[in-house]
Amino acid sequence: MHISNYRRKFEAVFLLFVVFLLICVGRLLYIQFFKSEFLASIAKKQHNLYVELEPRRGTLFDTNNKPLAVNISVDSLFASPSSIPDKNKEAIIRQLSPILGISGASLREKLYKKKHFVWLARKITPEQSESIKKLKIKNLGFIKESKRCYPNGYLASHVLGFAGLDNTGLEGLELNYDNYLKGQAGWALFLRDARQNKLDLWEKMVLPSDGYDLVLTIDEVIQYIAERELDKAFKQYRAKGASIVVLDPHTGAVLAFANRPTYDLNDYSSASKDVRRNRLICDMFEPGSVFKIVTASAALEEKKVSEEDKIFCENGSFKVSNHILHDHTSHGWLTFRQVIEESSNIGTTKVAMMLGKDTVYKYVKLFGFGSKTGIDLRGEISGMMIEPRYWSKVSIANVPIGQGVGVTTLQLANEIAIIANGGQLMQPFIVREIRDQYGEPVKVIEPKMIKKVLSVDTANRIKKILVGVVEEGTGKMAKVLGFSAAGKTGTAQKLEPNGTYSHDKFVASFIGFAPAEDPLIAVAVTVDEPRGSIYGGVVSAPVFKNVANDTLRYLRTRQLPEEILISDETD
Amino acid sequence: MKLNKFLVLVACLTTLSLLYVYQQTEIFRLAYLGQKKITLCQELLDKNTVIRYNIARNASLIRIGNKVATSADFQMPDTYRLVKLSRPLEGIKVAQYIPKKETMIARIFGIKTQAQAKTINPSAPFSSVRSARFDAR
Repeated sequence: MHISNYRRKFEAVFLLFVVFLLICVGRLLYIQFFKSEFLASIAKKQHNLYVELEPRRGTLFDTNNKPLAVNISVDSLFASPSSIPDKNKEAIIRQLSPILGISGASLREKLYKKKHFVWLARKITPEQSESIKKLKIKNLGFIKESKRCYPNGYLASHVLGFAGLDNTGLEGLELNYDNYLKGQAGWALFLRDARQNKLDLWEKMVLPSDGYDLVLTIDEVIQYIAERELDKAFKQYRAKGASIVVLDPHTGAVLAFANRPTYDLNDYSSASKDVRRNRLICDMFEPGSVFKIVTASAALEEKKVSEEDKIFCENGSFKVSNHILHDHTSHGWLTFRQVIEESSNIGTTKVAMMLGKDTVYKYVKLFGFGSKTGIDLRGEISGMMIEPRYWSKVSIANVPIGQGVGVTTLQLANEIAIIANGGQLMQPFIVREIRDQYGEPVKVIEPKMIKKVLSVDTANRIKKILVGVVEEGTGKMAKVLGFSAAGKTGTAQKLEPNGTYSHDKFVASFIGFAPAEDPLIAVAVTVDEPRGSIYGGVVSAPVFKNVANDTLRYLRTRQLPEEILISDETD
Repeated sequence: MKLNKFLVLVACLTTLSLLYVYQQTEIFRLAYLGQKKITLCQELLDKNTVIRYNIARNASLIRIGNKVATSADFQMPDTYRLVKLSRPLEGIKVAQYIPKKETMIARIFGIKTQAQAKTINPSAPFSSVRSARFDAR
């Protein structure tokens, strides 16, 4: 009886275990066959961490491979507000506010959010990062991010542009070549440990492809010289704006490109839109006398006049339709050469009348006015050039002397480059090479001739006249020491909002090239609304002189080491 | 016999399992170790880029230009302001050159050699200065 009772108990327990086992097996089978996918996906989420791998943004180099825009790895500061006790928050705000330069109210707003993650400050400086790390505040963390930095600050700011917080180009070359610069992001599935920390073990990985580097035609030294001189004139004449562009006339390569006012690329957010505007290609103005080169070129090319032909300049007053045209100083008989040298409006108008409006228009278009130059920067305008059928009776007296047309400073630089290079309209360009991260060229941009505008003979004849402008005429202040220079001054009245010409707002300009016999540089300088003096020959010509002076010396001395090397070898 | 076989099998399985666990822990240990080293290397690389950037920033023409502008009237040197220095050997040759003695005929007819400057210390480096022309502006 006792044994049989024991046996029954034993069987009951065994049965219980068997049932339990069967339940377990059943549950396991259920999990395996019905829940496996769901549970596996949860496990995968816990074990794996998807990380986007940021590509390196391409570097911008000047023509001598000096970096103009680079990436540095910096810390971004985040906090986990939900984990920070409220009593500690005020102390944290007091400690962080002076280091980050962020107001207490702004930090308070972020730290009192009921979130697990908030950015406190993105891309802080290494010094700030070190100071915060020393504080050893709990629930604050750092994430490494790549920051775009510009070692030269404001140098070439309107050319380079800038990239935003997410390393996307927002302006200038950074925007225009963003597709080349940004590269392609990669990704990886990293393993995580039980504490959810990332391990450097990955299941899958697609490596990012780094952005390409850009090599510009800009020369850092010439850019600096141009900006320094432009800045002097801008400040001295308390101007509203100023622009300068230095071109290699034979290729159209832009050696320097600057505007005033300007801004620091490392602090672009504090610059207004007006300051960031690229005046060189976005602002249109009436060019004034610098435009007479077009009329003079047309007259010589069409063989309507020669340099020594005499033109009567009506002693300073000439009636065209109902409009009376004036010269700044009255002239009687002048040779055609003197008409340009002395910048006579009446003489130039009379020559234009000989040519006719269609011919004048033809040459204006040939010189590239009224069309975009095609430079590799965004936002360029084409200027304004009205077709001859819409011209009024006085247009034949206005257009040839640079009134009633709208041009950009870059178009003026192209105009003078045509004379300097023997009559070819070249497309200005800023990027000369695109390279991969190993320095191998991906794309090489060759100089591009848009069209042949003038014969070499006509260009040379105009060149001689323009040398006369600098030697004897209105551009004496552009005379370059030790080199010959050629150029043309311009002083244009600005239009008032009511359509009349202003008597106190002018655009003073000078376009020229040097050395005259074998031009290395073509320069266009415009100063918007200068005060004190208004004349292109006084305000802008000295800028040209100083830029040409230092640039030519720089270009010559750059060749010197080779000479020394040769003399050493021969010794 | 059967029990022995079973025990051997269990022992083998246990050993393999232990080895597998050990392998896994080693993988993770090495991963942690590697991660630490990568972090260290990355930090050094980051510091390197920051330092290089700082050098570029300090050597930028804007910074140098501003400093020069406030302290001196700097101008780009022209070619006529540059002095070419020839090798010291050539200078020594010039210094050691002894002109021929003036003959009686030469003295009578006034045939004289050109005046020649001689360096004081021929052994000093850069003793001969060729085509030197200064403009003290």
